[in-house]
This record gives sequence, structure tokens and C-alpha cells, in this order.
Amino acid sequence: MHSDDVVWSMLGNRQFCSYKMTTKTQNFCRNEYNLTGLCNRSSCPLANSQYATVREEKGRCYLYMKTIERAAFPRRLWERVLLSKNYEKALEEIDENLIYWPRFIRHKCKQRFTKITQYLIRIRKLTLKRQRKLVPLRRKIERRENRREEKALIAAQLDNAIEKELLERLKQDTYGDIYNFPIHAFDKALQQQEAESESDSDAEREEDDDEDVDKREFVEAEDSELSDFEDMDKLETSSEEEQEEEEEVEKKASHSKWKGKTPLKGPARRKRPHIEIEYEEETEPSTKTKAA
Amino acid sequence: MCRGGRMFAPTKTWRRWHRRVNIMQKRYAICSALAASALPALVMSKGHRIEEIPELPLVVEDKVEGYKKTKEAVLLLKKLKAWNDIKKVYASQRMRAGKGKMRNRRRIQRRGPCIIYNEDNGIIRAFRNIPGITLLNVNKLNLLRLAPGGHVGRFCIWTESAFRKLDDLYGTWRKAATLKSDYNLPMHKMTNTDIGRIMRSQEIQKALRAPKKKIQRRVLKKNPLKNLRIMIKLNPYAKTMRRNTILRHAQNHKLKEEKKAKARAKLADKAPAAPKAEPAAKKAKTAKAAKPAAKAKAEA
Repeated sequence: MHSDDVVWSMLGNRQFCSYKMTTKTQNFCRNEYNLTGLCNRSSCPLANSQYATVREEKGRCYLYMKTIERAAFPRRLWERVLLSKNYEKALEEIDENLIYWPRFIRHKCKQRFTKITQYLIRIRKLTLKRQRKLVPLRRKIERRENRREEKALIAAQLDNAIEKELLERLKQDTYGDIYNFPIHAFDKALQQQEAESESDSDAEREEDDDEDVDKREFVEAEDSELSDFEDMDKLETSSEEEQEEEEEVEKKASHSKWKGKTPLKGPARRKRPHIEIEYEEETEPSTKTKAA
Repeated sequence: MCRGGRMFAPTKTWRRWHRRVNIMQKRYAICSALAASALPALVMSKGHRIEEIPELPLVVEDKVEGYKKTKEAVLLLKKLKAWNDIKKVYASQRMRAGKGKMRNRRRIQRRGPCIIYNEDNGIIRAFRNIPGITLLNVNKLNLLRLAPGGHVGRFCIWTESAFRKLDDLYGTWRKAATLKSDYNLPMHKMTNTDIGRIMRSQEIQKALRAPKKKIQRRVLKKNPLKNLRIMIKLNPYAKTMRRNTILRHAQNHKLKEEKKAKARAKLADKAPAAPKAEPAAKKAKTAKAAKPAAKAKAEA
């Protein structure tokens, strides 16, 4: 009481107040105990030694009061009273605690309490609804992913894969008899088949030549050792070796045909056509040195 | 290439840098600054975080003057809950804006609490490395440290002996200052500054008249010569005057009418023999002629 006016005459006009925020039309007060949020003679918690506010913490509202008796002890300056969850009862509690207090403070406390309960209700309603979370896009990452998507699409060569698949099915007679072929596709398929048979025979001849020239050749490391062992088993009998040769030739042929980047899975899981057709009938398998 | 000549009013080192201020004014200022440092409102408005300190003014016992280690000093501040202020200083450490950067004033930070002691037994060295803290000896209080930036209300932490010494240094109103040759605290302009309380007090309210709650607004001026009520408001006798004139007029009118009636009757008596139609017509004419003539005569 004694120094309120003096304090206000300093904070209001002359001296700097660290809580005061000025805008073109109004002055605001950043003090957390301020009742209205404005910088006024009657709303300033620093310039009024008898003051009260309503604040909420974790969904519960408290009435904070300060009196001049405790003005010199900042630690225990603010006395707080928990208000009941019932709106009307809480208003009565405010009235009862602030009995004989100035009209302005009583009125503003109740107004503030009303506003706080309203926004708490709104918070509860909103949390029940689905909340939209805004996630910012990262430009660099988005660009990179888009480009990779495009490349993958090209790499997949869906057209070719689909074509092949359909031809396979046609060969396997899943479609029975079909009489309406598209002419160009049919011709292309025929040509491809011819080419396949030619390349098979070519490949055989080439491989035989290679074997005569070099007996010992260094080969890359393979994924599956099982395949080697399989081969080893087969190698022992000459007849089986022949079969194996054919198989391997076929595998190699298929390998040479294969142009895509996706690795072919299965027993022929090799990166390059290996000359494992070293396994000749006559000679024993030469020592394979695995490339380190 | 470049222009010749010298600068206007070249700056000289013998500019008058120092100003003298009256000693009383200087002491008045220090007293005001110390008083302001004891008001929590003013200290908080300056920005110091004193929400949790136990008491203001904050006085600690003399053992603090014997602290040798900064760790002890930090612990003391933390126990007193004054460390929040230091944290604020840390948060405010930044680079200066402007040319000061290249003039050896690169870094700036906020001012923290001010420790005021009586005797240095190591307190200076314990506290001086904590950012924001300034140390002051009671005997040599510096206004530039008590009211930095020209604004009063710095957060001050006193040691007990320093606090006790203030009485001797500045006196109380009852006794003069012993450590100064001839000084006492400045007198108040008002001892009770709570003007609201004063105005509401019984002594003053008794001597006041009742408040005028009714608002007088501008009244439209009406012409009293045309508007009888306004005339009466200004001149109450106008009412009786008006009344009298009306009555008089009525009376005169009545008399006149009577006269006329009599005159007509006389004429009617005088010429009864004449043919009634013609004379009647004539009479009517003459009567009509006579009446206005008579009226004119009467009025004239």
C-alpha cells in the first residue's frame, strides 16, 4: 500500500519494466501472475500489494493471492488455493476467499477462471478428435527419392518382364488355344525363340574351345558353396558329368541372355558366366582357387 | 584523388570530460538506489529472478566474507535461490552489435546480483569469477553499480556486518551519520505516499460535500418572447402580467360588445315605422356601415 503509487509512477511511465511489452495501440504485461495481461495501474502485480490471480496447472485451477504482509518475502509471497472442479462451486470459492477485496480483482478473477475452464474443455474435446500432425518435407531427401523411384522404374523393365511372363504362360499352355495374336508380338516372339536355339549351340562350341586351351583358371568367389558341392558330387560319375554340363550350359546360356540388373535367384547365382565347365569327363576338377 | 582540408571541429583530448556533482546530490542518489534495492517490485521489474529468494533485502552472515573457493560461493547462491539470476546472465551472453566489436568491447552480458561486504577475507576471490556478479565494499558504494544503466533496483546480497554499517554511514532520521561529518538521510516530501488511502480516510471524507453524480448537459436555448414557460422561468412575474392582460382584454372586449349592442338597439327603436324590408336592408347596410365606422371611431 505504502509504496504502490511510487512503484507505479516509476514502472508505468519512467523507469524500465522488464515485463512490459509495448505495441502501437496497447501495453501488455508479461508477468505470469497478471490477471488481465495488460499493463495497467490496476492490473500490475508489482504495483498492487494486494493482488489475486487464477492460474491453471495440469488442468486444475488455483487461486493465487498475495497480501502486503508478505511483501518482503518473495518465496512465500503467493498463497494458493485449489479450486473445485465444479464451475459454480469454484466461483463461490473465489468469492469466499476474496471477500472484502476490491471489486475489480474479484470480477477479473472470475472472468479469468471462466476463460480458463472454457479452454480446458476445448483442449479435452480436441484431444479426443484425431489430431493432424504437420510433418515438414525435407527438400533434398524428397528430390533424391523421386529420382531413385524413376530410375527403379526404368530398371525394372516392367514391359519386358510382363512380356516374358506372358510368353512363358503361353508356352505352358495355361491359356489353351488363343486365336487372336497381335501380329508383331507373335513375330518377335518367334524370332527370339530362333535366336535362343542358335545361341545355345554357339555357346556350347565356344565353351569346348575354351576348355581345351586353359585347364586351370581362376574363378570368382561364389555365393553358395552348396552349388559347388553339388557339382563335386555330380562330377564323380562321367555320365552325370555330361548331364551336369548340359545343365550348366543351359544355365550359362540363360545367364548370357539375362540382361536385367536384378539378380537371378536359384542355383545359378553367379555374377558372371563362370567357366565351371572345367568339369570335364576326362580330367579331374582342377584346383579351384577362390579369389580372395 | 582525395580532398584536402581538415575535419570540422577536430576532437581534442582536452575536452571537458568530467562533471562535478554536488555531494548532497550524489549521496541522495545512493540513498535512493539503496532504498529501491529493498523493494521486490522494483528489483523484479529490473529483470532479476528473485521469485524464490527467502527475503529482501537479503542479508547473509559474516562467514561468507571468509569464503576462499568459488565452489563455496556457487553453493551459497544456489542455496539462496539466487542462482536463477546467474543462469539468466549465462543465457544473455552474446556478441555486441555494432562497431564496438572491433574496439575491444566484443562480448556483452547482463548484470547479475551485487554482493556487498564489509571486510574482504577472500570473498572477492571466491565470487569474482561468477559471471554477472559485482563486489562492493560498503564504505565505497558505487552508484554506477547500484543503479546500472541509470535504473534503480539492482539485486543486492548483503553480509551482516555490511548491513549493520549502513546505519553509521547514512544515519537514521533520528541520528546523523557517524562516519560522515555532517549528513543525515534526506527528508521525505510525503511520509505516507498512499494517496488513495489518504483520500478514503475519515478525516478527509468528513470534510467533503456530497458528490454530484448528476450530469448537466447543454440545454437548447428557447426564445422567452415566444415561449411562455421559458419567460416565466426567467421572470416569474410575467405570469401574472400575462394573466392580467388577458383578463383586461376580455373585459374591454365585453364592454365594447355591450356598447355596440346598445347602439344597435337604439337604432332599431328610432326607425320602426319605415318599411321594414327597405329600412331593414338599409339598416342592415347602415348598421354594417355604422358598425365599422363606430369601431373605427372607438379605436381611434
